Amino acid sequence: MNVKTRRWMTGVACAGLLAANMVPAVLAQTPVSGEAVTAEPGQEVKMMLLPKFLGILPFDQANQGAEEAAAELGNPTPLDFVGPTAENSVAGQIEFVTNAPAGEYDVIMLSNNSGDQIVPAAVAAQEAGIPVVTWDSPIPTGEGESLFVAQVDFDETGQVMAEMARSILGEDGGQFAILSASPDAANQNAWIAAMETALEDPAFENLELLEIVYGDDQSEKSYEQALALISKHPDMELIMAPTSVGIVAAAQALQNEGLCEEIKVSGLGVPAEMLEYTQNGCAPEFALWSFVDLGYLTYYVSYLLATGAIEGVEGERFVAGRLGEYEITKDPTRPDVDALRVLMGPFTVYNIDNVEEAAG
Amino acid sequence: MARELWRRLLGWEGLLLVLLLAVLGFNITRVPNFLTVANQINLFQLGIEKAIVVLVMTFVIISGEIDLSVASMMGLSAATAAALFESGAPMLLAIIVALGVGAGFGLINGYFVAIVGLSSLAVTLAGYVGFRGLARLLVQDRSVGGFPEWFTRLGQQGLIGPLTLSIIIFAMLAIVATVVLHFSGFGRLTYVIGNSAQVARYSGVSVARTKLIIFTASGFISALAGVLMAARLGAVRASTAEGFELDIITVVLLGGVSIFGGVGSMAGVLLSTYLVLNLRNGLVIAGVTGNTQTGIIGLLLILSVLVPNLAGRVRERLRRRQPDPSLRGPPQEAADPARSQTAPG
Repeated sequence: MNVKTRRWMTGVACAGLLAANMVPAVLAQTPVSGEAVTAEPGQEVKMMLLPKFLGILPFDQANQGAEEAAAELGNPTPLDFVGPTAENSVAGQIEFVTNAPAGEYDVIMLSNNSGDQIVPAAVAAQEAGIPVVTWDSPIPTGEGESLFVAQVDFDETGQVMAEMARSILGEDGGQFAILSASPDAANQNAWIAAMETALEDPAFENLELLEIVYGDDQSEKSYEQALALISKHPDMELIMAPTSVGIVAAAQALQNEGLCEEIKVSGLGVPAEMLEYTQNGCAPEFALWSFVDLGYLTYYVSYLLATGAIEGVEGERFVAGRLGEYEITKDPTRPDVDALRVLMGPFTVYNIDNVEEAAG
Repeated sequence: MARELWRRLLGWEGLLLVLLLAVLGFNITRVPNFLTVANQINLFQLGIEKAIVVLVMTFVIISGEIDLSVASMMGLSAATAAALFESGAPMLLAIIVALGVGAGFGLINGYFVAIVGLSSLAVTLAGYVGFRGLARLLVQDRSVGGFPEWFTRLGQQGLIGPLTLSIIIFAMLAIVATVVLHFSGFGRLTYVIGNSAQVARYSGVSVARTKLIIFTASGFISALAGVLMAARLGAVRASTAEGFELDIITVVLLGGVSIFGGVGSMAGVLLSTYLVLNLRNGLVIAGVTGNTQTGIIGLLLILSVLVPNLAGRVRERLRRRQPDPSLRGPPQEAADPARSQTAPG
């Protein structure tokens, strides 16, 4: 990975001063086992933060975390936070990744919303020497992906969702439906699969999954899908939405229909957006992790990878600023493919007791 | 011939050329790898399905009609191929059926417009909703993929050198479309019909037959573009190509084709296609987000519809002040997009 040396120079007098910075600082600290690599600040790395699409709070929070890391690391090249519109997510993401080599990016940080359709573009980027670090949502086959920064363990997500469902529906259980993001969203698909596996446990035998519908992470469509679920399944008692857009839309639909007593909402949501629905009983319990931390950690690992400080192989350890030490491991939630993972964690389950504080 | 070229350069095509050079200049200076073969291939490849449909949409609009159903047809053909393949049909058969569906529904569109005499706006609006609805019935809320490797390889990798199948098809269709529009009886008919269907009918010209062929071609080419898109993306959803009809019509209008029919040239449309592809490429590489890109393309549409109209009014005024038209050279009624757009009837 080439690191561009600083092109600008304010004057000859400054040249000596800058010399230290101009050294292509690939101080390749080959990781001695047991020793975590620390980033060499001040290197010029052109980085692209590419969420599924722009315009929702979690991705803005991830950008905020990435900017925080950028400031800490003193990267003189500003971070490019770019993304398609929600309607054009798949083709738009492919477009950004395909054009990354022409834009001379040094690393792409991708929350993949394009399933394996992104693979040819990602592979081409890697062949052009651009590592592709996925975060939030991986490339299912791991092809074209350098490593995945996982917010939480994906199997654990399924377990947490099953437990929240049981805690809301009670010991006697009941019927529920899943309102997901888009059918190409690798993270949501993995969580739903993990939840279905968790449901096989006799402990959850009273929970009946009716169907899975998709709101494409668009508020209106998610709202309509929630309404459709309500009219289609009169005995449904819970909508589980593992997406920050879907969970708000579902809660809103129930509130507007005056059905919060009969039907509850749960899933993954941002506390600031869920506060009112938790307080009025529509969404008594939901879970999430910090997207700010996720953006921060993703920036750190991508910077280390792009500067050559780490190679992105199994067993490497590194320090990610205030979050501390991490290790690159095989991704156990994608056992069939050869994929690598950095696991952030942990999960926070929010309810009436802690939602207000988290909402800030 | 030289005079013709000069007139064009002063007209809409000249303006497009200036715009194109400006965008190219910007891209070349801003983007170091812009002129590499790989980037030029990418630039075409990322918008190739729209570029293909633009060619046939040019005929539709010059003939005085509109086809709003093209993007829904792209979605329907992709969904048809995907659903058939999923249910066990060989991929090749699935593709042929999808293309047949395109031609068939195109023919139906054409029947209602040309034979029954309904407005194409209404007929193809029905198609816009209906074809998308059928696509949803076929693949529902899923993402259907797992196509055979030869199919996705055709969509994603170079066939002749770095040129992909889609790019080769586009190039061939562009040549065919240029020849047919400008050097054939069919092309002349298209213009005459667009200028005044009434006159054309009284002249004993088969308006209906021409329109029937144009709408059938529109359905077929859109279906082809849909299948190519399925191959490029490697997966199909019911929302495949959603919203593309507006991008496609934008490019055609920006190319100097009058929305009222009868006016336009393939040269202008090809220039505007390359212009919009370059603009998108430059914007993406410059790190401009999706929303801003849509805004800028929207501005272009406003420009392409308003400027010719305003320019036409200004000229109209100037002409009234100059009573002797013979001093102004031969009249160039039909070939001047700027003027004709002010006068629909």
